[in-house]
Amino acid sequence: MRSARTDKADVLQGTLILLVLRTLEALGPLHGYGIARRIEQISKDVLRLNQGTLYPALLRMEQEGWIASKWGASEKNRKARFYSITAAGRRRLARETEDWRRMSSTIERFLGFEPGA
Amino acid sequence: MSWASVVAARLRGLFGHKRLERELDDEVRFHLEMQIEDNLKAGMNPAEARYAALRSFGGIEPMKERYRERRAFALVETMAQDVRYAVRTLRKSPGFTTTSVATLALAIGANTAMFSVLNAVLLRPLPYRSPEQLAMLWSEVPSQNLREGRSAYWNVEQWRSQSESFADMALFDGVSSTLTSADRAEKISVVRHSPNLFPLLGVQPLHGRIFSAEEAEQRQRVALISHRFWQGRFGGSFDAIGSSIELDGLPSRIIGILPAGFQFDNDADVWEPHTMFPDWEAIRRSRGGGFWSVIGRLQPNVTFEQAQAEMSAIARRLDEQAPASDPNRGISVVPLSLQVTGPRPRLALWMLMGAVFCVLLIAATNVASLQLGRSASCEREIAIRAALGASRARIVRQLLAESLTLAVIAGLLGLWVALAGIRAILAVKPGNLARLNEVSLDPQVLGWALATCLLTGILVGLAPAITMSRRNLTPSGQEGGRGIAGGVATRRIRRALVVAQFALAIILLVGAGLLVRSLWSVENVDPGFRPERVLSMHLSTTAFRATAQRADFYNRVLEQVESLPGVESLGITSELFIGGNPERELTAEGDARTISERLRFRSDEISGGFFKAVGTPLLRGRFFSKADKPDSPRVAIISDAMARRLWPGRDPVGKRFRLGPGDSDTPWFTVVGVVGDMRRQGLEKEPIPQMFEPLAQNPPRLAILLVRTSMSDPLKMVGAVQAAVRRVEKHAPVYGVTTLENRLGAFLSERRFQTSLLIGFSVVALLMAAIGIYGLIQYSVATRTHEIGIRMAVGAQAGDVFRMIIGEGLKLSLTGLVLGLVGALWLGQAGSSLLFGVTATDPLTFITVSLLLTAVATAACYFPARRAMKVEPIVALRQE
Repeated sequence: MRSARTDKADVLQGTLILLVLRTLEALGPLHGYGIARRIEQISKDVLRLNQGTLYPALLRMEQEGWIASKWGASEKNRKARFYSITAAGRRRLARETEDWRRMSSTIERFLGFEPGA
Repeated sequence: MSWASVVAARLRGLFGHKRLERELDDEVRFHLEMQIEDNLKAGMNPAEARYAALRSFGGIEPMKERYRERRAFALVETMAQDVRYAVRTLRKSPGFTTTSVATLALAIGANTAMFSVLNAVLLRPLPYRSPEQLAMLWSEVPSQNLREGRSAYWNVEQWRSQSESFADMALFDGVSSTLTSADRAEKISVVRHSPNLFPLLGVQPLHGRIFSAEEAEQRQRVALISHRFWQGRFGGSFDAIGSSIELDGLPSRIIGILPAGFQFDNDADVWEPHTMFPDWEAIRRSRGGGFWSVIGRLQPNVTFEQAQAEMSAIARRLDEQAPASDPNRGISVVPLSLQVTGPRPRLALWMLMGAVFCVLLIAATNVASLQLGRSASCEREIAIRAALGASRARIVRQLLAESLTLAVIAGLLGLWVALAGIRAILAVKPGNLARLNEVSLDPQVLGWALATCLLTGILVGLAPAITMSRRNLTPSGQEGGRGIAGGVATRRIRRALVVAQFALAIILLVGAGLLVRSLWSVENVDPGFRPERVLSMHLSTTAFRATAQRADFYNRVLEQVESLPGVESLGITSELFIGGNPERELTAEGDARTISERLRFRSDEISGGFFKAVGTPLLRGRFFSKADKPDSPRVAIISDAMARRLWPGRDPVGKRFRLGPGDSDTPWFTVVGVVGDMRRQGLEKEPIPQMFEPLAQNPPRLAILLVRTSMSDPLKMVGAVQAAVRRVEKHAPVYGVTTLENRLGAFLSERRFQTSLLIGFSVVALLMAAIGIYGLIQYSVATRTHEIGIRMAVGAQAGDVFRMIIGEGLKLSLTGLVLGLVGALWLGQAGSSLLFGVTATDPLTFITVSLLLTAVATAACYFPARRAMKVEPIVALRQE
């Protein structure tokens, strides 16, 4: 359960892809609700995910061939669509991760830079 | 994801819209239900849980809208992206693009043109109502080897009344009548038919009406005219209806005009009642063999097989009542579509279509091979794209998009090639193919062009796509450009493509070789006369009513023309080249007894000099002379085939025969001479028995004047001969002037056309195969420079290298050769009816083609091998 707290950041579109790919790589096939829950749990409610935006993003990733989907039975034996990461998705994840690390370390260095020190 | 599932996903996107919407609903509902359950577990009441779930999800409809947009956009966007990317890469290698587009455009164009002919002649339904219900009905007498024979009136009446599988049957016969107008006379073809013919075909006259059963019964002289005749004779004026034309000296009243597109039985101009024959009453009573063609319309839901079974049963019943002299007369039912274009032109067209399709396959193979070589060199770039996260499916899709773009550009150019091809085919008018004038670029043809385009695109893109999807797409520095390019899969596929090209080229070449040999055989057939330097023209005597006047006119024309300088000999005949002939009864006096029999033979009236003019030898007896006067006993000259048929093994000179049965009152002919057989139905048909009687005893209304000249170009004498005829009779019509060689050549036009097309196709195929193997070997040498360098460094001689490279090429071409020869042997059996004077396994053709192909393959490998020989070991090794 969440309340609308103003200091929560919206998940950026590019970051969402990274989060979804990482989630699927770590947990294996998962349905959309599961992915949303996982992202919220890991981010400890710091990131606000507008859950509805997840689905168009999943569609796009599937179109790009990074993930694949299949209809199956959920844990309560209900019909659900399960997403899983593909080989191309893993490559994409590797690159995004690297990009992210490089970017965040750069920004870190930038912020840690004390003028005149 | 394989490329197949990419395509499947695309198709789902286009066609499975409803299912996708339902799936989206299901997914959203599942999400909300899960969230609500979790919220309930967290202690909210149902209303709260529901509200919170909806809030955390965000707007459902806006989300669905974005989802749908994404779905539609992705489809268009990735396609557009793929095409843009394809165009960009194609522009980067203009050499490859130009070669490929030109090759494919020619192949697609030729295919489309050929298909348009096939479509018009064979595939498009006949222009009648429900043409699939129409069938021809023929008499057959297997014991006399008579198939598709015509039938007698009485028999057809019996069929019609007894049959239940046919809704109706109509009968017709094509005759040639003399149309006389104020200033000239000409022969036109006329169809005499029963009044139910047009209702049976489902054809309405454009103007006016058809004749009624009563009019036919009363033998009223009424006529329908063709649209062409209407335009030509009456300038399309409605005054035509009600006016009259003179046919064979008698007036007929025009009552109707047929529609423009209507075609039936060799473009007849006039259609009149079947009762117009002068001896109608006798014809009506005749049984057994006759001259009527019969067309029937099946009842709905009756198959041709059922109709055939019923007609066979009727034939057996009639047989029991028939006189013993006419035994075992059967009936055969032939679907009209099969009848219009006979089995041979049909087979020839399919053969040419197959050939041109082979050319397309070879062209596509060539481009695929080029593409493979190129994609190997682009591999680094592709590997990098893969590393950047492009999925394998996406890369394969791009390769396919590239080849499809190529094919579509080629297809557009190909349409232009097809138009030119169609124009050329129409200009040549090969032989007398039925319905050829209907050839055009219609929707079916365009559809075919599109289909060939897509097929070509997929064929071209498939090989690179397959090798690509099999390969591990990591950029491997240690392999380098060269290492990857020599990829085993790529090489294996390219080799297989070259082998396939050679096999297809061999099949085409063998086919072309066999057709060339057939053409030579036909050209070397002795027609039974010498056509060189002979002028041929038609004369008409319809201005004269009395037979004596006609005979006198012909004699005076012969006298006048004979005196011209440059004339060697000359003669007149009622007809020279002939179509099919009905069988007729004939009674011949033997040594012991007189025998009547039915046979197909041709009868003509000739002047005494005719055989000398056309150069047909006299085998026995004498030619006609001045002594064979109108009132002297009737005499005849018969052909060798007729002599052998009527009096086998005996001298026919002095024997007598008469037309009709033994008890008829027709005059007896005494045979005075036997001449060599003339092939007057075409060079490929065995000469039929022929008889000739003196012009003086039975002068025809229309005749052909044949003048053997001493000039190499007999047409130079046309003016002088025409003037000579005019000196005899000022207004005498002279028309249809040509040479005998031209008329004979017309018989060959269809075969010449088929042969030259197939030669063209197979030469193109051979060239492409040569280019294919050259490209492969060239490429192989380029990628093996390093290896060759090492070999030479450790002591290999230039000759060894040369042999190694040539050997590589020959191994491929010989494999293709063997496969192709097997294919040619197999296909040759199917096409053997197109051959003449040569068997489908003709060793000379097979050996020549094999040698030719080996020579071409060796030549194609020679240059790359030479290059390999000149590799400098030091340079090659330093390249690394």
